[in-house]
Amino acid sequence: MNRWIIPYIHLYKGRMSLSVIYGLLGVTSGAMLLFVSGYLISKSSLRPENIMIVYVPIVAVRAFSIGQALFPYLQKLVSHDIVLRILSHYRQRLYDTLEPQAIFLQSRYQTGDILSILADDIEKLQDFYIRTLFPSIIGIVVYGVLAVVFGFFDLPFMLMMLAFLGIIVFLVPFLSYKTMRRKHLAIKKKRGSLYQHVTDAMFGKLDWMVSGRVQEIVHQVAEDNKNLITSENKMKLWHHKREAILRFTAGIAIILVMVWSDAQTGSSISPTIIAAFVLMMFSVADALLPISEAVEEIPLYTDSIKRMEAFEEKDSMADLPAVRENIIWDRPAIHLDHVTYSYNRSAPPVIDDLSLTIEPGKKVAVLGKSGTGKSTLLKLLSGVIQPATGKIHLNNTEMSSHYLSSAVSVLNQKPHIFHTTIANNVRIGKPDASEEEIIAVLEQAQVMRMIDQLPGGIHTQMDEMGGRFSGGERQRVAFARVLLQDTPILLMDEPTTGLDPRTEHDLLVTILEAAKDKTIIWVTHHLAGAKLMDDIIFMEAGKVKLRGPHRQLLKTNNYYKQLYQMDEGI
Amino acid sequence: MKKQRVKKLPNYPGSLKTHSLLTIFILCEAVAIIAQAYFLARAITFLFDRMPIGEVIPDIGFFFVAFVIRYLITHIEMAAADKYAAKSAQMLRDRLMQTYFGRSHAFVRQIGIGHLVTLAMEGVDHVKRYVEIIGVRMIKTAVIPAFIVIFVFLYDPISSVILVLAVPIIVIFMILLGLAAQMMADRQYETYTRLSNHFIDSLKGLETLAYLGKSREHAKKIEQVSGDYRNATMRTLRVAFLSTFALDFFTSLSIAFVAVGLGLRLIEGDITLLPALTILILAPEYFSPIKQVGKDYHATLDGQLAMQEIDNLISTEESRQTNEQTELFDWQQDSVLTFDKVTVGIAEKKLLDDLRFNIRTGWNGIIGASGSGKSTLINVLAGLLLPTDGSIQINDQPVSSLKNESWFEQIAYIPQAPYVFPLSLADNIRFYALDASDEEVQQMIQEIGLEDLVRSFPAGIHEKIGEGGRSISGGQEQRIAIARALLSGKPVILLDEPTAHLDIETEYEIKQLMLRVFKDKFVILATHRLHWLKQLDHILFLESGELKHQGTHEQLMNQSGNYVSFVRWGKEESG
Repeated sequence: MNRWIIPYIHLYKGRMSLSVIYGLLGVTSGAMLLFVSGYLISKSSLRPENIMIVYVPIVAVRAFSIGQALFPYLQKLVSHDIVLRILSHYRQRLYDTLEPQAIFLQSRYQTGDILSILADDIEKLQDFYIRTLFPSIIGIVVYGVLAVVFGFFDLPFMLMMLAFLGIIVFLVPFLSYKTMRRKHLAIKKKRGSLYQHVTDAMFGKLDWMVSGRVQEIVHQVAEDNKNLITSENKMKLWHHKREAILRFTAGIAIILVMVWSDAQTGSSISPTIIAAFVLMMFSVADALLPISEAVEEIPLYTDSIKRMEAFEEKDSMADLPAVRENIIWDRPAIHLDHVTYSYNRSAPPVIDDLSLTIEPGKKVAVLGKSGTGKSTLLKLLSGVIQPATGKIHLNNTEMSSHYLSSAVSVLNQKPHIFHTTIANNVRIGKPDASEEEIIAVLEQAQVMRMIDQLPGGIHTQMDEMGGRFSGGERQRVAFARVLLQDTPILLMDEPTTGLDPRTEHDLLVTILEAAKDKTIIWVTHHLAGAKLMDDIIFMEAGKVKLRGPHRQLLKTNNYYKQLYQMDEGI
Repeated sequence: MKKQRVKKLPNYPGSLKTHSLLTIFILCEAVAIIAQAYFLARAITFLFDRMPIGEVIPDIGFFFVAFVIRYLITHIEMAAADKYAAKSAQMLRDRLMQTYFGRSHAFVRQIGIGHLVTLAMEGVDHVKRYVEIIGVRMIKTAVIPAFIVIFVFLYDPISSVILVLAVPIIVIFMILLGLAAQMMADRQYETYTRLSNHFIDSLKGLETLAYLGKSREHAKKIEQVSGDYRNATMRTLRVAFLSTFALDFFTSLSIAFVAVGLGLRLIEGDITLLPALTILILAPEYFSPIKQVGKDYHATLDGQLAMQEIDNLISTEESRQTNEQTELFDWQQDSVLTFDKVTVGIAEKKLLDDLRFNIRTGWNGIIGASGSGKSTLINVLAGLLLPTDGSIQINDQPVSSLKNESWFEQIAYIPQAPYVFPLSLADNIRFYALDASDEEVQQMIQEIGLEDLVRSFPAGIHEKIGEGGRSISGGQEQRIAIARALLSGKPVILLDEPTAHLDIETEYEIKQLMLRVFKDKFVILATHRLHWLKQLDHILFLESGELKHQGTHEQLMNQSGNYVSFVRWGKEESG
């Protein structure tokens, strides 16, 4: 709470005060509109000889009626401007938090779309300011102003009213917060259970059917559903009870004011003010009542904040480039010298004492079962993680992520296609690239012919018209992006996964053709195209299990031969 | 697909009762509002006339009673609406589940299971929220202002004319401003969505940016775009909020008009204080329901959209298909499954066209390129899709469809990504055979080669896997699904592309395992991976939904036709 809210209140205290002032002026205008109207009518009923006596109230009524509309409008604009400014800070902050963990997000959070959840979280926090903070502050300030007004006439009555309205301003909101925190937790739990069972039912539909257990899950979901709805009903009922209590209190306050102002007439105020005070109390009550509702939402925001704080506490392990060194690399060889790496100390190393040399220009395929370390090897080679022991060298220079995009470029498993034009998508890897360069790499990726047929050419939005780009075409654009960085070494993490065999094969041929002078290290899960590679490496438990050129392995290694025959088919 | 929205009152069971009840309550509320104003005005007038407070107490008392009753009724109304909404929401969720299990799989493929889950959870929530507010709001808007204005008319026709005239002016301005805001929003729509999506787009592309070495530089872009986003949003909001402003402005101006008019006529002596005060107190109440109309715009919109979508889903009846069937059959070693002129889809959109074949125990393959209808056929065989035409026979006995309890008892289905339930490993394995003992599960784990995995779990076979538990690899998922099928002893095994996504070594192991453990089963395997072909006893070769060839691999290779080129091409590709 402290770290995600307080600093921003400090930062924008000026604007926030302005918003509260507008809010207060809005409430005041409303109260004064009724106050002056009541006064106007009472005064008029005395049938003054001179209409000029009620002239000022008449003008005031009109002025306050404009104010009652204008100030809330200004208040809304100012407060939305504030939350948008804060949102911008939140985005920046969330990005800065996630950026160092970028390459681990995928593996750490396989399930659920954590990124969308976080983005939603910061959007939700806007409501904290709009719906909780500002209404509460305005309510409390109105309470204070009221105290001053009554105090001006009658100190004991002021104290009594303060105590009494304290029920609306402090007591009920406090109880509300306490109760809602509990109920909110209960509802969350029941929602979770329902969600899990709905997911189980829907994704496991056939499993339920073939096991004859459909009724079981349908009942389970119905049960969860009933529980959830019952809890929600209880919460609703509590809301209604609370609102009724608040109204009841407000009604008594109005009567107290009526009786009091009657008692005051003759001494400090004239009877014309009775109507004015009583009517004003209606408006004031309307400003105070929302506090309970505002406060009860706090538990909703604390969830969001906790989630983001949890991310801020993660250490990154990654080493991403802040500066890039623009060295011209001349076909470097890659040397791994007794490299070991593990994600946590208790587990066995993912890469275990691995030594390996890859000559410049070689095309190497890396295979292995899941968990054998092939993706980690790729991360090590790209420099975004550093070996725990041992060294990785490019020629004689020790590998670091500073050489990403100058020595090494990476085509990761699911390269993201951004919601922008084709040209901008390609340019991301090299912001100062000219249009000619972009067209050249798109041609090398053999996707230019298709792009030429688009009305907007390379300036067509990638996400426009949904299915216009097939999976293969999107991969080609992603590949062009990597090609544009023109590095001597190209790392690829299963770029062809999910494509059908023909598209996969065509893409592979394109890649090998376009990158024929480059070193390619290609993590893959099967042997399609193995023939086109210079070297095949099988990994197991962080070590090289098998290595050699395709032809040699086929001749000398029975295991490889079996695998190859299976992949080849017949 | 254009999204539709319903704008009428929701019409779920109990709707008539709830809405009649609400109307009665709201009528009572209108009376209470008027009584509250009337007695308050009386009390104030009497006090103003310097009557002793003791004589005014009854009026104060009546005011308070009316005031309390009014808010009591308000909350009873809301509670009634809530109850109706809760019942409707509960009913909708249950109906969605029943529809999902009762109907064939075709509609799920259209909208996606993920979306269906969202619809059942958040969609129903949206409907609930909408039903809670809409009934009360619509009836109130119709009843309360009318009541008040009639009452005011009886006292002071001039004020009632002001009140009545204010409404069309408000409506016209609201429409004009609404249109202006809409036009503005439309004009900015593209920029606006681009800017608002930029952040989530950047987060999703973070890994890619990191590998391009550009993630740090991109932070500046976030800041810049956030600024643009704020400016664009504020431009729209300035206009959008204007409509609320106009609403407030005209209502409070009308109240001011009424007040000033009353004041002037009081001076003239045309009216006395009591009615004047009553009208003044009633004026804000007159506008209050109207002011609510534009509120909660998003809740209303979301509710209407979700309501339409859910109603469409649960109301579309499937063309007469008897799901409850009494046919009983057992799959025996010598049983035959016959498809006779089986067709799925209509007219030009035929997913499967006139399939005729007999298959029996042994390894049967459904072979074809992607889009040839393999998955559709497997779905028909699994009872998830119903044929639109043709007949299916088991041992020459026609069955109306395979969506049939008896058939479900025979089959086990292993898709590319079997669903892993958030249960223990053991409970996942005995999912089809609940009464299997831990020992039997242990034995099965030996059989399918998951001992290493079990050994790495602190709780052994009772370790929780799936969502919220241990994550497991694709190969392990397949092994669990195989164990599930084996343990239940089901004779029919349906395999939908079970190995294509695995790495070659795991694929090899899983293939050997399947060949061994499913040796004597009635296996139907849909795949494009050629290495299975030689292991198949009978091949159904599909192309664009038609059965082009059938027979053993050798037989098909000797016929000239697309099967040969399919195999040839695949061979070239992988070699």
